[in-house]
Amino acid sequence: MPDAAAIVRPRSARPSRRPRGRQLSVMLLTAPALAWFAAFMVGPLVALFYFSLLDWPSLLAPSRFIGLGNFARMIDDPLIHQAAFNSALQVGIVVPTMLVISFMLGYYLSLMPPGHKVMRAALFTPVLLSASAQAMVFVGVFSPMGLVNATLRWLGLGMFVTPWLSSGGTAMACIIAVGIWSAVSLSTLMFATRIANISPEVMEASELDGCGHWSKMWRIAAPISWEFAGVVGMLQFLWVLFGSATLVLLLTRGGPGNSTATLAFLVYDVSFNRDQVGYGQAVAVVLFIVGVAGMIGIRTLFRART
Amino acid sequence: MEKRTAMTHTGKSSRHSAHRKLGGPLMPLAHFGAWLYVLLLLSPLYYILISSQKTNIEIFRNPVSPVGSAGIGNYIAAVDYANLGQAVFNSAYITVGAEVLTLLLAVPAAYGLSRASGRLSLFIERIFALGFLIPGFAALMPTALLAISLGLFQTREFFILFLPATALPLTVILLVQAMRAIPKELEESAVLDGASTLEILWFIFMPLTMPTIVLVAIVDFLNFWNEYFFTLVIGGVQVEVRTIQVALPTLTSAMNSQFGILAAGIVVSLVPVYAVYALTARRMEEALIAGAVKG
Repeated sequence: MPDAAAIVRPRSARPSRRPRGRQLSVMLLTAPALAWFAAFMVGPLVALFYFSLLDWPSLLAPSRFIGLGNFARMIDDPLIHQAAFNSALQVGIVVPTMLVISFMLGYYLSLMPPGHKVMRAALFTPVLLSASAQAMVFVGVFSPMGLVNATLRWLGLGMFVTPWLSSGGTAMACIIAVGIWSAVSLSTLMFATRIANISPEVMEASELDGCGHWSKMWRIAAPISWEFAGVVGMLQFLWVLFGSATLVLLLTRGGPGNSTATLAFLVYDVSFNRDQVGYGQAVAVVLFIVGVAGMIGIRTLFRART
Repeated sequence: MEKRTAMTHTGKSSRHSAHRKLGGPLMPLAHFGAWLYVLLLLSPLYYILISSQKTNIEIFRNPVSPVGSAGIGNYIAAVDYANLGQAVFNSAYITVGAEVLTLLLAVPAAYGLSRASGRLSLFIERIFALGFLIPGFAALMPTALLAISLGLFQTREFFILFLPATALPLTVILLVQAMRAIPKELEESAVLDGASTLEILWFIFMPLTMPTIVLVAIVDFLNFWNEYFFTLVIGGVQVEVRTIQVALPTLTSAMNSQFGILAAGIVVSLVPVYAVYALTARRMEEALIAGAVKG
């Protein structure tokens, strides 16, 4: 199975002895796609860096170049501190937790235990949920009269009943829980596919050495899937970091107070609801850099130990 | 003793013995943990499904009971109130339009890249490869400004143009991989027969890579249908333009915590996706894993 590493560095194409004219016509075929990508993806990203240097209150207002002023302002802005902390907390909990759980579940699934087909189908169910449908499901689950509180009452744990999304102590925990809930399913299926591809000889050799499943899982499957885990971690890192915008917007709107605001949510909120377009773009630049740096960080971390 | 049994099995049924042997003291714990997660995964969805045909009082009094008396009342209310019919149409219009444009752009590009050689094509391929690692979300506002400058702010057509750009990197890369596998000799003999570049693409490459084309079409369908944030910010919440994903959350504020109606709305929004899933289950699973692994 090719992984992201193989794609980022495509193997060099074979030399060809085709006449130049044909070569040109072939290159022309790629021009429309490139132009499209440049116009709708690269263009806005480049513009983003410029907009972040402007003092620009709203879309209709005139803008003024202020250099790095927006970034300087962020250093002292408690809202940004809160959001950076929340994003770090969210990513720091969701990604490692999800990696461990989904690796173990993936190993379990690769053993084809009884009912594994049902389990596979169940794991696919949440993968198909859109971000907004998923958020709406959890609006119901966490609402004061929702599923969580109903279950607590049913278990005789009525004293733990609370308005989960509107109390400061639990709102961020809910957002993190939803993140783990949805990240584990697809990651498990990815790990199961990877682990099932480990050659049976390797597994058998370890069985002859008297290894049980626990040591086979951690001593054999884990090192073999280590780099793959980096790819899974990288993907989920990006989804959690950027996907939090939808989740926070629909579950808590950043509240209560600003206790659940994340960086991605602020990119939207500052630009559109707080009338500071330029400042919002500076937040977006920071988010972008965090995203790229985190990705590179996860890649190196998971490459170093192989 | 046990070792010897294992030895005799090796070779004969090596594949089965390694993967099917379930035992050990921790196995019951593993079964329990795995099924607990499945329970946690499915119970919110079960809750939505049963709540969608219950009244508010029934939801509060008997949250886990599947019995409800609202019938399809909630569904009618949800569809009526949030104009879900129009919203599904808008989503379908955008999804199909964007899908067609994506393939029109990606298939020739992938063909070109798979046949070309030299530095330029390598460079282009690398652009696409890096493309799907770029977090496009950061460019939310500049993309909105692009829509405004094109005169397409708050129109569905902007998304038909914009969404293909987000899908191109993955689509092109997967198609290039599939097309590289086609032997050169096939193309060369077609050239000798006087076939043009486009004829070769249409009659040789497309039929041979159809499984991959279907695969990327499924991945793109899901991504386009489920797109939320950009359609909310750039498309807006007006009934004529908004997609099903944007229309759905409007039920929360509007229905004044009538949860049954929101639940019915969620179910309606999921029907098209699960219908496609039911039709193409195995392909879709393959597509999602391929899409994720290569993204």
